[in-house]
Amino acid sequence: MMLPRRTTLLGGVALAAVGTASTARAQLTIDMTRPSFEPVPIAVVDFKGDAVGAQMAGVIRNNLQNCGLFRVIPSSAYIQKDVDATSPPRFQDWRIVGAAGLVVGQVTSVGGNIKVDFRLWDVVTSQQATGLSFTSQPSNWRRLAHIISDAIYKRVTGEEGYFDTRVAYVSETGPANARVKRIAIMDQDGANNRYITDGRTIALTPRFSPTLQEIVYMAYGENNGPPRVYLQNVDSGRRELLGNFPGMSFAPRFSPDGSKVVMSIAENGRTNIYEMDVRGRQLRRLTNSPAIDTSPCFSADGSQIVFNSDRGGAQQLYIMSAGGGGERRISFGEGRYATPVWSPRGDFIAFTKISAGSFGIGVMRSDGSGERMLANGFLVEGPTWAPNGRVLMFFRQQPSSGGRAGSASLHQVDITGRFERQVPTPTDASDPAWSPLIPQ
Amino acid sequence: MAAFDVKMASLMKILSPRFAFLLALALPTAAAAQRGGDAVYIEDRLNQLQQTLTMMTGQIEQLQHRNASLQQQMEKMQADYEYRIDQLEKGGGGKPGGAGPRPGGLAAAPAGPASPTPAPTPGGAAPGGAAGEQLYDEAFKKLQEGDYAAAERGFKTFVQRNPQNKLAGNAQYWLGETYYARRDYNNALTAFAEGYKVYKTSPKGPDNLLKLGITMSNLGRKSDACAVFARFNQDYPRATDLQKRRIEQERQKNSCG
Amino acid sequence: MSMIKALSALAAMFLIAACSNNDNQTASAASTSVTPGSVGDFRQNVGDRVFFDTDSSTVREDGRQTLNRQAEWLKKYTNYQITIEGHCDERGTREYNLALGERRANAARQYLIAQGIPAARLKTVSYGKERPDPVGSDEAAWARNRRAITALE
Repeated sequence: MMLPRRTTLLGGVALAAVGTASTARAQLTIDMTRPSFEPVPIAVVDFKGDAVGAQMAGVIRNNLQNCGLFRVIPSSAYIQKDVDATSPPRFQDWRIVGAAGLVVGQVTSVGGNIKVDFRLWDVVTSQQATGLSFTSQPSNWRRLAHIISDAIYKRVTGEEGYFDTRVAYVSETGPANARVKRIAIMDQDGANNRYITDGRTIALTPRFSPTLQEIVYMAYGENNGPPRVYLQNVDSGRRELLGNFPGMSFAPRFSPDGSKVVMSIAENGRTNIYEMDVRGRQLRRLTNSPAIDTSPCFSADGSQIVFNSDRGGAQQLYIMSAGGGGERRISFGEGRYATPVWSPRGDFIAFTKISAGSFGIGVMRSDGSGERMLANGFLVEGPTWAPNGRVLMFFRQQPSSGGRAGSASLHQVDITGRFERQVPTPTDASDPAWSPLIPQ
Repeated sequence: MAAFDVKMASLMKILSPRFAFLLALALPTAAAAQRGGDAVYIEDRLNQLQQTLTMMTGQIEQLQHRNASLQQQMEKMQADYEYRIDQLEKGGGGKPGGAGPRPGGLAAAPAGPASPTPAPTPGGAAPGGAAGEQLYDEAFKKLQEGDYAAAERGFKTFVQRNPQNKLAGNAQYWLGETYYARRDYNNALTAFAEGYKVYKTSPKGPDNLLKLGITMSNLGRKSDACAVFARFNQDYPRATDLQKRRIEQERQKNSCG
Repeated sequence: MSMIKALSALAAMFLIAACSNNDNQTASAASTSVTPGSVGDFRQNVGDRVFFDTDSSTVREDGRQTLNRQAEWLKKYTNYQITIEGHCDERGTREYNLALGERRANAARQYLIAQGIPAARLKTVSYGKERPDPVGSDEAAWARNRRAITALE
């Protein structure tokens, strides 16, 4: 099923509280930055009024359970079965089943559209914590469920949610020595998977534009043509070569405002970083070293670029001004550092670290201090940030054995490193790129 | 910063003869290869040079890093010394209000209703009291630990809540230092300038003005820095010799007239 | 398919070893099966690949011998266009390995140019760690994957 590029949300308004008006924060809140906390027990009742209501509740439950901050209480335990969005629930019934939060909703047909009302009840204080109402096309029910999940997440954690997002990745199929690698895009929860390239040539490293309308990626040309960077419209499929240079161009990434793409160009054994103006297609060189400078990524404010280089002997992380110059190394730990990505919040840089024969995903502050490893393994690589800067996705590859490729899969982990879970994909998958929140 | 630059310059001086030596090594070989018609040797030599250069780049980066870490440690230690000297000086001079020497004692005492309320602050309006000073102590501890972001928050809150407290001028100064230590000179400038404007007569006044000038200098505003240094003797005739010497050093460094 | 590839790779390995032991007696065993001047001849009797150390793009001594033989052969059979493929083992990150593969292909290319092969005949392409051969996750497999392959067309 394809979602329209831009979803028309015909109004999303806050629902006035039913019953007592004041909000209260009790056990329904969670501080993600604390070293330890208990997941919030929450009940999500099937939304009433339309068959799609049960599906929406399913999507919300799945989102909340998977993010690691909630414990979703199974429907079979519920005592009050007839709860709806228009009147307060019997709080006692929900305290008995151990819920701190209760999500209820109502779906009604309005003309050709559906109207969805939802409320989050704070069971501990018997008050409404939040409530929203949306009207949209019926085909948007999944997005509405994600937007509701984001509202719940935000109310409970104080952080922006990340459920109404997509993930681009490299789908991998076939034998290890002739692997088919093509770009796919799916919703953050694995739904609506579709392929963006046909797989005739290897395509790698997809990255979203800030509007989600385009992706840039690297693909090999026909008949062993050299790798080049392509810009592709996600909906129309129209693809353009982003500059035709003598050398190989790769490792593209958009600037935060979408006006530029930085990438590496390799020629005669040297790999440097260039910036291309997306409209005018002007190319400008940003680094000039005899070494390998690659994996460039802008800071959230667009003023700096972090990249990795082996100019000092082994791969390390460096920062320079967005226009080039002022290069300085920031990583000084044991091992090699690669694939730096700046958090959308600007507070951390995530990276892949290779040391003592194993791989890890870690974060450090932008001055190189406070390094923390979040995941380790035989091969883990390629972190990408959720738009709230609190969760990372990356890929794991198992060792190959008996001539068969080791499986590759996407995983997500929060920045405390506590919760890691595999993200389901229809095929083996690598190189995830998390989108910003979908524009509403 | 300046010391750091000097160190780097001397490091480059040490290294450049080694680079020259390497070039000298490469050139005759290149000539010989041309005569011999064997391009492989040139390629080899270039590769070796490249590898040596790479290795040295790595070493320089490590040295720079070590140097910067030492610099940071020194700045932290300096801040600590300045604080301690400050306390000694204050402890000696009979302070009105008799709240006694800062942290130590009060920080150790449990906060809350049981702790003795210090004498009213000059303005008398600040509700801070012991709780406020505890905030100051905590912020200072964060500064000493090098957690500049936390120290920044602490000092900022302290000044906001207790603008009349006798420690407000100190807090304003240390707020500037939290930025300065992170080389955030723009914010440091704002903080030191505010300190000069509002807490000119605070015990930290002279240090504050000195740091204001140094920060301007770091931002490349040499003539402004000189103007600031020029006010020092007039504003703080009773500054310590050490402070006067620092001002003189800075004036020379910035070639002030 | 992969079985055949693996076998031919094994055969090539054996022959490279044989060749480097005694350069002047290359073809006596294998020449019966391949036409001199053919791609098969090049692969079997000259050796189409050289290997590199971890994270390095320096052509080793064993690689130089192979490239010397390649240069001799390519000077004799001038009808081929040449693409040098650079490859890496799986123990690096994807983007860096693309660049490292390019550097390896370029090192081999420069060596062949130094041996008198015209630069215009020599293209390069990097596959990073995307095309392992042999497939495996042990030191032996990784050593065979850090390679530059001289492909003829």
